Amino acid sequence: MLSRRQLLAASPTTLPLFLSLSACAGPAVLSAPPAVSAQTTSLLHAVTAELNLIWIYNRAMAAYSGLGPALAPLRAEHEAHLARLRAWVIEPPGKHLPDTVTARPGLGSTEVAALRQLQAAEQTAVTTLMGRLDGAPASLAQLYASIAASEATHASVLGARIASS
Amino acid sequence: MSAEIAALQNALAAEHAVIYGYGVAGAMLTGASQADAVADWTAHLTARDNLESRLTGLGATPVAASPAYQLPFAVTNAATAARLAAVLEDGLTRAYLGVVAVSDPGLRSFGARAMQASANRAVAWSGTTTAFPGMPG
Repeated sequence: MLSRRQLLAASPTTLPLFLSLSACAGPAVLSAPPAVSAQTTSLLHAVTAELNLIWIYNRAMAAYSGLGPALAPLRAEHEAHLARLRAWVIEPPGKHLPDTVTARPGLGSTEVAALRQLQAAEQTAVTTLMGRLDGAPASLAQLYASIAASEATHASVLGARIASS
Repeated sequence: MSAEIAALQNALAAEHAVIYGYGVAGAMLTGASQADAVADWTAHLTARDNLESRLTGLGATPVAASPAYQLPFAVTNAATAARLAAVLEDGLTRAYLGVVAVSDPGLRSFGARAMQASANRAVAWSGTTTAFPGMPG
């Protein structure tokens, strides 16, 4: 096995020979990153889901300034969800946390349509979080359940706003 | 006592307290607010019965309600009655959070759904949402 010092000392021309002589293939030296557990994958998806929700709240607030006072507290709670979920990611070491929005749907063409869209997104988020409960460690399951409860209240608040529009 | 039974007993004790509390709050409410309180009280009776049935099914004796409970503050008018209802629902959400911690998947889902119901009722009474219903501050 080559040491890191030996690899760094090898020139680009001698490195392939060095590797072949030592019968040490590149992948054995630069082994694949550790597999991400199903639990961590679920957590990273939950992080991305919150990013997507925040993105659509931002779009709605930018497009319909009149909705700002009603939507800002809900968006702030999503930002709190995101921070708490990100704090849970501890494996693998050095894993890059998701920071990219993966869904950028078009926004409803009226305030009410945008509110309906947000409400549907919240309901979908609740359903998805419910599906993450099974198999999660107890304390993470409690966090998912709490966030699901929060997002269920968002859906209700948005529904009330739609009804009064 | 298994973790499942302990968590369900805790939720049942909380439902008993909430049922008592809604009785106090409802007496201070009128009109639509009182109708809401009655609807919520009825929902809690159903939840209590459900928990008792689950506990009996697990071979446990469901905890009984206390004859009376200490209220967190004096309930003297509609505003304090609504505040009490919100406080009761917040406490219940915390109790159901304990059910989510058990390993049984069905009970986890049950606890999480109950948290959503109580969190929604809390918001209806308080008018304010929170980021982490049921979680310790």
